[in-house]
Amino acid sequence: MPPPNPTPKKAPPPSDYKTIAAQFAAAKRAEEVEDADRKQTGIQQQQQQQQQQQQQQQQQQHQQHQQLHQAQEEISERERRRAQLEAARRKAFQARWAWTASFWVWLLCVHTVGIAYFTSGFLLTRRVLEEKSACDVPPTAAAGNNTNSGVVDLLPAWEGKGTVEGGCWHPRTFDRAVVVVIDALRYDFTVPVEDGEVFHDAFPFLWETAVREPNRAFLRPFIADPPTSTLQRLKGLTTGTLPTFVDVGSSFSGTAIDEDNLLMQLRDAGKRIVHLGDDTWEALFPGYFEANLSRAYDSFNVWDLHTVDNGVIEHIFPLMERKSEWDLVIGHCLGVDHAGHRYGPNHPKMTKKLRQMDSFIRDLAAAMDDRTVLVVMGDHGMDSKGDHGGESDDEVEAALWMYSPKGIFGRTKPEYATPPASAKIRPVNQIDFVPTLALLMGIPIPFNNLGRPIEEAFVGASGKSWANLAAAERVTAAGIKRYQNSYFSARGIEQASGDGSPSELWDKAEALVSRGKKQDWAAIFSAFAAYQAETLHRCKALWARFDLKNMIIGIAIMALGVVALLVYISKGEDDDVIDDEELDLAEKSLELQGIKADAASTPSDILDKSLVSAALLGALPGFIGGVISSFVSGVGDWYRGAGIAALTSIAAVIVRMYEAQDTVLEVLPKTLWGWMAVVFTVSQSVGFASNSYTIWEDSILLFFITTFGFVSALSALRLPSRADRYLVIYHSVVFVVLGRLASFSKLCREEQMPYCASTYYASAASSTSAPWQLVIPFLVSLILPSILKAYLQPTRSYEGLAPAWIGYVFRAGLFMSALYWLLDAADNGNWIPGFPDKTLKNISVYTAQMVLGLAFVAGTTAFIWAPPCVSIITSASPTQPSKAQVAILGYANAHGARYLLLPLNLLAACILLSKPMGGGALALMAWQLLALLEILDLNQLTTSPIGPVMLAVLGTFHFFKTGHQAVLSTIQWDAAFIPLFSIRYPYSPLVVALNTFAGQILATSVVPLLVLWKAGPKRKGLLESVSRALGAFVAYFAVESLATMAWAGHLRRHLMLYRVFGPRFMTAAVVLLVVDVVAIVVSLAGVRCNMMAIGEVFGWAE
Amino acid sequence: MSSSLVKGAAAQAQATSSKAVTVTSPSSTPLHPVQTKQTPLAQTARHALPALLTCLFLVRFPALVADPVSTMTTTLPLTAALQVSYAVICLPAAGSHGAKPARKPRPGEKKRIGAEGTGPNAIATSLLSLLLSLLVMPFLYAAFVLFGAPFLTHGAHTFLCAAHLAVLALFPLFYVHGVDAAAWAAVGGFSAPFDEAFGGLVGGVVGAWLGAVPIPLDWDREWQKWPVTILCGLYAGYVLGRVLGGTLLWGRRF
Repeated sequence: MPPPNPTPKKAPPPSDYKTIAAQFAAAKRAEEVEDADRKQTGIQQQQQQQQQQQQQQQQQQHQQHQQLHQAQEEISERERRRAQLEAARRKAFQARWAWTASFWVWLLCVHTVGIAYFTSGFLLTRRVLEEKSACDVPPTAAAGNNTNSGVVDLLPAWEGKGTVEGGCWHPRTFDRAVVVVIDALRYDFTVPVEDGEVFHDAFPFLWETAVREPNRAFLRPFIADPPTSTLQRLKGLTTGTLPTFVDVGSSFSGTAIDEDNLLMQLRDAGKRIVHLGDDTWEALFPGYFEANLSRAYDSFNVWDLHTVDNGVIEHIFPLMERKSEWDLVIGHCLGVDHAGHRYGPNHPKMTKKLRQMDSFIRDLAAAMDDRTVLVVMGDHGMDSKGDHGGESDDEVEAALWMYSPKGIFGRTKPEYATPPASAKIRPVNQIDFVPTLALLMGIPIPFNNLGRPIEEAFVGASGKSWANLAAAERVTAAGIKRYQNSYFSARGIEQASGDGSPSELWDKAEALVSRGKKQDWAAIFSAFAAYQAETLHRCKALWARFDLKNMIIGIAIMALGVVALLVYISKGEDDDVIDDEELDLAEKSLELQGIKADAASTPSDILDKSLVSAALLGALPGFIGGVISSFVSGVGDWYRGAGIAALTSIAAVIVRMYEAQDTVLEVLPKTLWGWMAVVFTVSQSVGFASNSYTIWEDSILLFFITTFGFVSALSALRLPSRADRYLVIYHSVVFVVLGRLASFSKLCREEQMPYCASTYYASAASSTSAPWQLVIPFLVSLILPSILKAYLQPTRSYEGLAPAWIGYVFRAGLFMSALYWLLDAADNGNWIPGFPDKTLKNISVYTAQMVLGLAFVAGTTAFIWAPPCVSIITSASPTQPSKAQVAILGYANAHGARYLLLPLNLLAACILLSKPMGGGALALMAWQLLALLEILDLNQLTTSPIGPVMLAVLGTFHFFKTGHQAVLSTIQWDAAFIPLFSIRYPYSPLVVALNTFAGQILATSVVPLLVLWKAGPKRKGLLESVSRALGAFVAYFAVESLATMAWAGHLRRHLMLYRVFGPRFMTAAVVLLVVDVVAIVVSLAGVRCNMMAIGEVFGWAE
Repeated sequence: MSSSLVKGAAAQAQATSSKAVTVTSPSSTPLHPVQTKQTPLAQTARHALPALLTCLFLVRFPALVADPVSTMTTTLPLTAALQVSYAVICLPAAGSHGAKPARKPRPGEKKRIGAEGTGPNAIATSLLSLLLSLLVMPFLYAAFVLFGAPFLTHGAHTFLCAAHLAVLALFPLFYVHGVDAAAWAAVGGFSAPFDEAFGGLVGGVVGAWLGAVPIPLDWDREWQKWPVTILCGLYAGYVLGRVLGGTLLWGRRF
């Protein structure tokens, strides 16, 4: 039954399923007769005879009635057999679908376990607590509750206790502070080293003063917690906490610190803060600084050694003359760091820079008075090449120097009078700066602090004030304990107890206090110090260490998963999608004779079934083994079972697949197209090792899309048919031009500046659309349905539900989303003055809800119940007027045309949720997808992996074109409020996910079309081909996910880890899981629904 | 030189013997690889000119990095001159007998040289080919933009880059094939046999494609500016492709 020619007489489109089914049954009966005629078998001859008799029933004589009766019986018997066969095939299909779906669920599990394992070793998260320390609520009051009988305070009450003037938690020492951060000031730059290196002994002032005037100054190694990047360091230096990958706070957007910190405490106490230098401070503490006195300078211009330093020096000395106008001055010099980045430490420029710093600090120290403390520190060190960011010794070892002419600094032991000769001796942690400065200035210690006071600052000039030191240590420790209690209760985790645990150490220390042996201050100090050290140790273990073992297990699971997927898609590439007329005919005659009419002969035993059983069999021992081993070893990581189960399960599946085919070499591609698919996937994955290629991913994807278009246009020249040639060239040009057009929709990430200009929103500093952009959705609603129609018409598939759904419902949905954005803009811009408040918002939200309802509720219902997009026409045969001729419009694309309705529903929803510019990009994507389908069909590439890979590339490309980048800050949270007034679960996250991953979701839902497009109802092996295409599609994302995972793990000490590699891994991991889920829930389910509908009407092909 | 000729002859014999089997191009007769002229001058020029081209590029490279537009403008006539002399000296003009398969390319055979001279005017053909290359340039420019070249800025850069591509890679093909649709279909469909002209095209295009690879890297080098790397890849790929197409790959089909 080839696609028929258009017939002038066209039946009205059938309204429902049954009509079509009945029409088709009639048509089929007629055709069987013809078949029988051709075959000339005895039975068929008889049938034909009977058929003719039946047609001429009215003219027949009585003696023929007997024969007729026989014939009718014969027919009903055949109908019965057919029904039986159809039922059996239907059942077999359902079983095969269930096994295929199980395979995909298994794959989803494998990916989830792999990603979870890696993440547990990589993405260490810390909950940011909102609590703030208050001046009049010292932590000792709460923590000391259990020792009510004992002494709550170690020190006798001082004047002004509980106020900032007198000192909140500890007597105040200084009114003002000047903090100079010399970026990348490594400890060995400040101490005498006799090795003649140019960077040594160029900055001797710190050492000299500490040795000459130990009561006025001290110098100690200052150990940074990795990552040693300035932004993370400043967080640590002001909050007193350890940095982790994600500080799960109240807001993802912006870099501003929202947890309790030194500057916040100072500001809340009414102190005035002045900032000079590196503008990172401005990003972290927006609005904190005295605007008329502060000066911020660009921190990223590494080539410029002097602007920042000169600015700081120029502006800091006038401030020293006007001490009444500020309470804290922060000066951040970048010259040493930039000299390191540009030249490395071993360069005369570095010597010069250090000498400049030496004289700067010399002058600054001379300008101090008794009420002011001067702190000079490095925020991190530098490695031998002058770079930093990692956790090597050279990078973490900075210097800390404190100075005050008041002369209050002391040493607990005489031998400490000389500063340590190397950073390995008596180092302090950088977080220790937080309680030290807080207590010295009389403000509360920030709530999340984990550091301890530095002893030199509290032990007194004589080195004997142990009571003061012990009190400072205790109040800090109490703060830590309070923080720990809140943290563990917020996370819902039990605190450790038992020997050596922090709580036990705390109890010991408190016991010493309550014993009231005042003379043993040193012991009390040591007890609380031990508590702090142990707590910090545990927190570091909890937050700041990469767990290499888990990361490697995660990577191994993902890698094996990719191998399994590759073997799966390469298996039996050739033996599906059989479309053989001869075979069909032969089978039909067998069917008619009722030979195959039993269920047992219909195969339901397919590869997926054996794979799933292998997976389960493999997982079971692994899971049990893992659980037992973790139980026996007592580590308590119960999830190890899942990891080992995943590994053994994949191994079992791979072995099973290996049995199922001859050679593993099948995995290698054999054609140019196969190689292109591999190159696109692998080159990009390799590129993720470089921050540049990760940053410019969107341009690279456009490059690949255009490359594919050009190659396909050129390869068209090899096609034998001229019409096909022109069609492929036309569609390729469309494909490429649309891609370039879409590329004008851009949202640049910070690292792309200044080579990129955002166009997604009205301006770089807004998140609303420009007025001209509001036209785009209207154009889309006008044009897109017509384009869809144009792609359906060549196969006469614009039939059945298609005209109504695409022409009216889909168009109406698009129009309404255009309306939504117009209303939204009118509401935001207050275009209609005098319109009642909230009315526009109400109207727009209900419009959006209607669009989503149309797309998801009505759309899904329509898709499930829709008849095939075909139309059956009965007309008189031109050669034999007595016989009816049946033509089925849309037969050749029966599968594809109907399935297309499903992605369209998703498209309508995504266009609404993606803002005007994104909606335009998605419309272009839909057009590109159709062009791609045509290209692949005409080039006969429907089973090649290039199709799924290009879909994946397109999906990823349009992820960028819908206003996203692989960074957290581009998530469009406001999309949650398009169809809703407030956050509602689970709808809000779903809406944000649809907005974020619209490109990939749409691409996933289109994957089955690669196989179904232009597939007639008699095509065999469709489900297997769809599953294989999905395999290639998911393989692209799995490889990307694996690559970003491996690179993020490998480059975990890279400067750009937190800005580039980590976020890209997170994006890839989430995309993979989203794609997996959509593949099962939308694509596979849609295919099932579609094939059932086609099978009901046209009969089952196998 | 002689080895390549022998190899070429063998490949050609193979191609003609399996003519019926290897019909992949739309035209019924498969395209034959183009043989360079056999005069000593042609053979010398054939090897010297790629070297000259390479030297030209290397000499102009610092200037190219410093000021791409003016350097590309001034280099273009030189490149064109080299290409024209290459075409006139080494290549058989379109429509001449040499463009058709040399039936028996015996090394050292002198008789045919005179016959080749009676073909179409080499100078006129080369000028016409240059004109054709010029006409194709806007399409090459569009292709560059489609691949992601700046659309509204750097127009002169991109256009000159397209001009170099046309003069290097397309001009020789116009010279040997003229506007023979079947030949161009075979060239475009990658079913043409390798010879110097086709090898140059493939090499130049692939080279220019690979030339885009270093652009995004954050090395902050001057030579990363548009379109220096593309031009680099184009020249390197063209010279390599032309040399390989004329020797090792001569007559090979894919």
